[in-house]
Amino acid sequence: MARFIVRRLLVAIPVLFGLSVILFMFLRLLPGGGPAEAILGQHATPQLVAQITAAQGLDRPLYVQYVEYIGRLLHGDFGASFVDGRQVATTFLVRFPGTVELTIGAMIFAVGLGIPLGRLAARHPNGWIDGIVTVISLFGISIPVFVLGYALAFVFGVELHWLPTFGQIDPRLNVPPVTHFAIIDAVLAGHWYVIDALAHLILPSIALGTIPLAVFTRITRASVIDVSNEDYVRTARAKGLTEGRVNDRHIMRNAWLPVATVIGLETGALLAGAVLTETVFSWNGVGSWVVSSIQNHDYIVVQSLILIFATIFLTVNLIVDIGYAFLNPRIRYS
Amino acid sequence: MMRTRVGSLIAVAAIVVAAWSGSATPTPAAPSAAPSAAPSAAASAAPSAAAASPASTATEGGNMVYALNGDMVLADPALVSDGNSLLVAEQVVENLVGLQPGTISTVIPVLAASLPTVSADGLTYTFPLRTGIKFHDGTDFNADAVVYNYNRWQNFPKGDLQDNAYYYGAVFGGFGSASNVASVTAPDEQTVVITLKTPQSNFLLASTLAVFGIQSPAALKAGNADTTPISSNKYAQGQLPQGQDMVGTGPFIFKEWVPGDHVTIVKNPNYWDTPNAAHLDQVTFKPIGDSTATLQALQSGGVDAAFSISPLDVKTAQSSGLSIIDRGSSCNQLNLDMNQSVGGKATIYANKNVRLAISEAVNKQSYADAFYAGLGTVPTGFMPPATLGFKAETLPAFDSTKAKADLAASGVTGSALNIDLYYPSNVVRPYMPDPKGIAQAIAGDLQAVGFTVTLKTEDWHGGYVSDATNGKLALYLFGWTCDWAGADNFLYTAWFGYQGGKPNPQFGWANAQANTDMTQALQAPTADAANTLWGQVQDLLAQDLPVVPLVNSQPPGALTSKVHGYVGASNGTEYLNSVWLSQ
Repeated sequence: MARFIVRRLLVAIPVLFGLSVILFMFLRLLPGGGPAEAILGQHATPQLVAQITAAQGLDRPLYVQYVEYIGRLLHGDFGASFVDGRQVATTFLVRFPGTVELTIGAMIFAVGLGIPLGRLAARHPNGWIDGIVTVISLFGISIPVFVLGYALAFVFGVELHWLPTFGQIDPRLNVPPVTHFAIIDAVLAGHWYVIDALAHLILPSIALGTIPLAVFTRITRASVIDVSNEDYVRTARAKGLTEGRVNDRHIMRNAWLPVATVIGLETGALLAGAVLTETVFSWNGVGSWVVSSIQNHDYIVVQSLILIFATIFLTVNLIVDIGYAFLNPRIRYS
Repeated sequence: MMRTRVGSLIAVAAIVVAAWSGSATPTPAAPSAAPSAAPSAAASAAPSAAAASPASTATEGGNMVYALNGDMVLADPALVSDGNSLLVAEQVVENLVGLQPGTISTVIPVLAASLPTVSADGLTYTFPLRTGIKFHDGTDFNADAVVYNYNRWQNFPKGDLQDNAYYYGAVFGGFGSASNVASVTAPDEQTVVITLKTPQSNFLLASTLAVFGIQSPAALKAGNADTTPISSNKYAQGQLPQGQDMVGTGPFIFKEWVPGDHVTIVKNPNYWDTPNAAHLDQVTFKPIGDSTATLQALQSGGVDAAFSISPLDVKTAQSSGLSIIDRGSSCNQLNLDMNQSVGGKATIYANKNVRLAISEAVNKQSYADAFYAGLGTVPTGFMPPATLGFKAETLPAFDSTKAKADLAASGVTGSALNIDLYYPSNVVRPYMPDPKGIAQAIAGDLQAVGFTVTLKTEDWHGGYVSDATNGKLALYLFGWTCDWAGADNFLYTAWFGYQGGKPNPQFGWANAQANTDMTQALQAPTADAANTLWGQVQDLLAQDLPVVPLVNSQPPGALTSKVHGYVGASNGTEYLNSVWLSQ
């Protein structure tokens, strides 16, 4: 196992290196006046843009810029934003907690609902319950996140006034940002503010979790049906085990393997930022940060963030693979 | 699960119904654009901001949540040029002079006890200062503090500090020895004398910009804010402990900034101008970058006010019980730019008759009606009417028949009439709420008189701005929102001032006389002399028609019914000390 992990980590190095080269070149091929234009806004005259571009060192040969960037990166320095001057690492620590909270909320919604629905559908394959679940999951995959997000906000926020439509916590509560995890900060602040933080999490979690929910439902259904047809399940039933015991011990334990893999992959993807959901709900996470940075041609921020996302994704993948071995003792990596 | 799905379906249906019913709502009456009668400076020594509602009726306290369309960029007002940062700064930091709330060009004394006396040669401005004022950190405001700030701006080191201090460079022509400021001195504790190298007619009006707000020298020194590059300048980044960033004398104190999430300012309990002290205990600025999300936040009551909403949402907002901020006289203008020289070659727009034909072909009133929700008006000149130095001109009226005749008279025929019209994508500007829609409408009008128009687009930040300003586009939409409401800001800074001795490549309009007049107007010792010259420039523009002025507009913002005392201004200089919340 140790050798497997080391090998995977070594493989990640050329992947990240290649990604950094492609990103670096790609971002600089974007048309426009670069970050100087974003800084200057309507005041961007050709002379001022050229002056700032030179001051930022963006007029130097690309390989010089790249070597300098990689050199800093190897020393743990992700660089600073061209626009606001803040260190990427500093802002990341402020904004990543929001994305983590949203990912957790979405996954709780998707897993908590998707797996029971998948099991329910698998128990009555091709029946009317299965049909309804199939329609629901197809709808979940088809509906654009921003449409669902606006619709949820309109109904539950604007019309019913049940739930907040933006942000992580009511600004009027003045919850001090200690950890930047809104729920933890709300708990620390007391006064049951945590209820407000949880209420803010509901609609974005549903919007973001709907597609994973549909995926989990379909995977669970297919996996449970597959396993249910295995000989050992039939044998278990023939031995007179109760249906609940057959389900828990023999079907679900084995059906979990592909489901767990997909959950891991989806978690990794969501941690890389839920761009649309964060935008629709004004959620202060890394997704909305990436968007604004791309619009501003803030190269350093974009390339550093995508490298961080790639690292997170590779790490989550690795954890999933390791977890796979624990879930299925028959699998051993070498 | 089922409930969620049913909810979604209901939501989608509800949106469709809401959109349908919204479209049937009568168009609100356009706020009147008052003609420019504002003097260059008000004689009164009125304090910084007057409440719209009598203070006796105001409710004290409360935390107003105010949506901005983006985050602040930096917490040092001297280093910003974006509207969000400036709006926050306007509440916290005060200048020697400011604008009468609700106006865009009426200058009043703020930290100065009265408007300055100006020497006959227009070079020396002597400001008497108010006494007994303290910065938020408890240190004294006095003449030395003013001198410190002016010297700080002038001596920003080359690099990102100078690059970000756009306004100082733009107003005074540069930094260090290149600056038009010869000296700033304090003959005594309560007097500041600013001496210029050459007269500068925009000096007083430009001095109202929040970037010229006076900050506590002690705080600036403690924060190493004067020479530290922005990437390690904690003061500019707003990352110092509470009370050490953006330290001014205003009615609000800067409390906290969580990047991307919120900025908080709190009431200054010791504000020097007691009658105009803030009613609110706190204002929380919340960046909401998406216009639909902003509207929903207002409708749900999550925010109390929004600095900007989409003009497309105005009717829906009003039908939801929200009120649209009355921003009075416009301070922006959308133009159809006709570049006469692209890539060193004359375009068909170098032909005066073509420009005239295009000016007559476009139905500006229809654009104002269709795209600005009653908040747009057809220009009567080359800048908004309330701008200082504005002169109304007789611009070509919409007349397709005449346009056809002028096009025929131009001699331009055949494939030369196949033209490209550029509009920006992925952007909404205050003067351009629907770039594609406006471009389509213009294209239709131009086709009607004989042009064959191909619509083309580029991403605003992905090439449009740089291509337009570098002179690579021939016919395109572009506009300007005033920094200060002076003729120089529109005519010289934004558009027609020569660059490096040559016509601005954005327009390719060679008119040495206009450039000379503008340069002299900037250096005129008196407002009257400057206005005469600006008038001449506008006459030349009306003769040559290098652009077609399309629309002046009020950028819409919205308030919930809880918000009172809000005084809007179309240049975005809005003070929140007069605002109060009903329970």
